[in-house]
Amino acid sequence: MKKFLAVLMALVLIAVCFAGCGSNENAEGSTKPAADQTDSEYIKAKGTLLVGITDFEPMDYKDADGNWIGFDADMAKAFAETLGVKVEFVEIDWDNKVLELDGKSIDCVWNGMTLTDEVKEAMSCSQAYCNNAQVVIVKADGADKYKTAEDCKQLKFAVEAGSAGENMAKENGFDYTPVKDQATTLMEIKSGTCDAAIIDSLMAAAMVGEGTNYADLTYTVSLNSEEYGVGFRKGSDVTELFNAFLAKAKTDGTVDTIAEKYGVSAALIK
Amino acid sequence: MNSFAEQFPVVFSALNTGFLQTLKLFVVTLVGAIPLGLIISFGSMSRFKPLSAAVKTVVWVVRGSPLMIQLLIIYYFPGLVFNNPVWGGGENGRFIAACVAFIVNYACYFSEIYRGGIQDVPVGQQEAGIVLGMSRSQIFFKVTLLQMIKRIVPPMSNEIITLVKDTSLARIIALQEIIWAGQAFLKGSQGISGQIWPLFFTAVYYLAFSGILTLLFSAVEKKLSYFKV
Amino acid sequence: MSETILQVSGLSKSFADNKVLKDISLSLEEGSVMSIIGSSGSGKTTLLRCITGLETADRGTITVAGERVFDSERTQKLTREQKRHYQLLTGLVFQNFNLFPQYSVLKNVTLAKELLLKEQIKQGKAQKDELEEVEKQAKELISSVGLADKLASYPCELSGGQQQRVAIARALILSPKVLCFDEPTSALDPEITGEVLNVISSLASEGRTMLIVTHEMGFAKEVSDTVLFMDSGVIAEEGTPKEVFENPKSERLKSFLNSTLKV
Repeated sequence: MKKFLAVLMALVLIAVCFAGCGSNENAEGSTKPAADQTDSEYIKAKGTLLVGITDFEPMDYKDADGNWIGFDADMAKAFAETLGVKVEFVEIDWDNKVLELDGKSIDCVWNGMTLTDEVKEAMSCSQAYCNNAQVVIVKADGADKYKTAEDCKQLKFAVEAGSAGENMAKENGFDYTPVKDQATTLMEIKSGTCDAAIIDSLMAAAMVGEGTNYADLTYTVSLNSEEYGVGFRKGSDVTELFNAFLAKAKTDGTVDTIAEKYGVSAALIK
Repeated sequence: MNSFAEQFPVVFSALNTGFLQTLKLFVVTLVGAIPLGLIISFGSMSRFKPLSAAVKTVVWVVRGSPLMIQLLIIYYFPGLVFNNPVWGGGENGRFIAACVAFIVNYACYFSEIYRGGIQDVPVGQQEAGIVLGMSRSQIFFKVTLLQMIKRIVPPMSNEIITLVKDTSLARIIALQEIIWAGQAFLKGSQGISGQIWPLFFTAVYYLAFSGILTLLFSAVEKKLSYFKV
Repeated sequence: MSETILQVSGLSKSFADNKVLKDISLSLEEGSVMSIIGSSGSGKTTLLRCITGLETADRGTITVAGERVFDSERTQKLTREQKRHYQLLTGLVFQNFNLFPQYSVLKNVTLAKELLLKEQIKQGKAQKDELEEVEKQAKELISSVGLADKLASYPCELSGGQQQRVAIARALILSPKVLCFDEPTSALDPEITGEVLNVISSLASEGRTMLIVTHEMGFAKEVSDTVLFMDSGVIAEEGTPKEVFENPKSERLKSFLNSTLKV
């Protein structure tokens, strides 16, 4: 029986190795890219554009039926159509976006991504399509005390770790705590553990102020202005295809229609 | 959706979906790791030295490194290093990758528990089997196994309850288990944002589930209490 | 003159540098009882374990009922069938009983024979109704060791003496040609050794062939046809109980007997 088990065990180990390293053409959405294939050929060959997103209103979020909608989501659907492939939205851990992209478990990051130097370094980035700013969020009562960045120096900030907001906090010399995501920063203010947060203006418009869950918060100072873009794999030819698609979509009114639907028209880059 | 009464059904259904994923990962891990652990324990007890040394090294690596890192390696390595994203990007691929990582990890822990359990069965039990003309496999399945099971129930129940909570690590590769589902409402999902209670509410699921398991294990222990080893 | 049923020739065994058995030869006639006495470390338990297949000797041969169950010169491997066949020619009752704790008294006795029969049924060598026979036979054996009321008990519910009697029944059901006992009463409290020794005595009177390693000198004297005295891995003296106990020739045996009497 010992021998039998030894053989069985060797087989299991081999099987695990194969599962780990071998090519598995049948697995969902996975085709081994050939060495001489361009990225667009690879995506067309497998027939699906995997779009890495997080739940981020108004760019990517779920409707009542659980379908992904939003400005970015609808644009991604339109872009996939021009490539002639299906679109599949994949919720990712934002911290792992570069890993996901390079590991080919997604084909692009399309989620109101600020084009920071770090992002430009790690991905092939498209032209910017949307304006954004990092704004300071504080409690509504007493908000008028904070008109400039200088006024905010005494506040204790919460920022999303690794975000554009964290960079702003660093640049302005604020006292800050990095937390998991932008929504958590708002929780920190509400629960009183921090005085202020720095988040994207697009998000602030959707989540803060009257008629939202954070009616008692408001945004005051804009610390900078920045832009959103789509990130593709480094060296990908799809970036150029997207830029061409964007130019055409701007002229034929597609962008305006979608932007209006999700209330982001004001931020669009014409 | 500001009132709790409005939020609760939405949150409840999202948490249930997340918990189903947690439960699936839990069950698949057990189904895979319980037999694989036995095979590994035989490997580590093998008298063929190269095999037992190799198996012990694997067990050391797997038990000695964080499960979170193993998940990242198993999910991202094929695409990053071999340019071959075997798992695919979808939820299914992530689930399968998570299962592989959990099965291998837990099989290694189980194998050490089994090894202790087998080696604790007095050698006289095997010898009694031999002189009664039983074959090695008969001795294992008819004599040793149940005695070993009785010995390993307490440490196994510890590991298995740890597994319930460890499943939450799978969200590092974006497997949408229950904590992921609870956290979504903090950030904003389905019109509910900035709500921290769904995240805390996930603990209720864990508590209920580990409670059921605790009852189950004490029933097993009771069932095996008719004999002493 | 009865037939020789166990023949050991030139048996040697070492553990690392320690020579435990040195060129042992003995023979046992069918229906006779042989006791092996000697101080601990003299090699008597190892000899028993070699005969019952739990240890492999380095040199020598063992023949049981005309079959060469062990031969250090043998080069070809034994088949599983042969191993099983040779194994079942001898039986062994352990010092620590080694009953299977998870099974009832009845199941402890029937288990091995049932497994054996099931294999044979699969191979078409036995019939299904023989399985029922096994249970009947087991119940008879358990009654014969005085435990008819304990069929459904588990080993942990029995006294040491009762457990050892079950172990004897368990060995008997396979009808070994030679039944070996390895200090069957050493793990028992002195006041209950009697019940086990009585069972062994009655087996002797039924004409069972037995090989008994024991410290019970009075018992050995009473039950044995032959007594062996082992010392440092050799058979130092051999004879009838009368010869060995009343007329010891060697100084070693004399001092051994003196020391056991004092205890």
